[in-house]
Amino acid sequence: MPAPSGRGAASTTNPYVICAVAWAVPGAGHLWLGRHQKGLILLVLLPLMFAFGLWIEGRIFPFQIAEPLVALAAVADVGIGLPYFLAKLAGVGAGQVIAITYEYGNAYVIVAGLLNMLTVLDAFDIAMGRK
Amino acid sequence: MTSHLGLLVIFSAFVSTAFAVLMRDNPREQVTFGAKLFGMFVVSAVALGWLLYPLPL
Repeated sequence: MPAPSGRGAASTTNPYVICAVAWAVPGAGHLWLGRHQKGLILLVLLPLMFAFGLWIEGRIFPFQIAEPLVALAAVADVGIGLPYFLAKLAGVGAGQVIAITYEYGNAYVIVAGLLNMLTVLDAFDIAMGRK
Repeated sequence: MTSHLGLLVIFSAFVSTAFAVLMRDNPREQVTFGAKLFGMFVVSAVALGWLLYPLPL
């Protein structure tokens, strides 16, 4: 039985370009590859989760190599792509360590970045024709 | 919004939706899988909370 259209066939575009786009704008890789339903949901969901985390006083962690866990959290934060840089430009993400929701906010911001990394891997698999 | 349970439920909704969208292709399967995942997130967190309750801080 033939595969449904848009599935199982490798993309003609360089998969690494698709990964870069998928990282920069959550869901954009799936939209590019014709997975519109997935792309639209991810486009709304992941930036919303990131913004919600910042709204409840989550912090965008700095790259402090001397503090390995802080550096790892910073890598996860960058995983969300463009929203990370927009938040930095807007001056949000300082975090309020005394806020009761500080740790929860950090969990939201970090996990949003990690989920976008997973989205990039999924877009890569689709681009390679594995899914 | 400072309720631990409320934030847990919202977090579970975000994560289970993302996983359902990534791991299932059919919309009906996405809804079923996402609902199961969401339920497991919430129930396991509450159950673990009660299991840890007798332990001293």
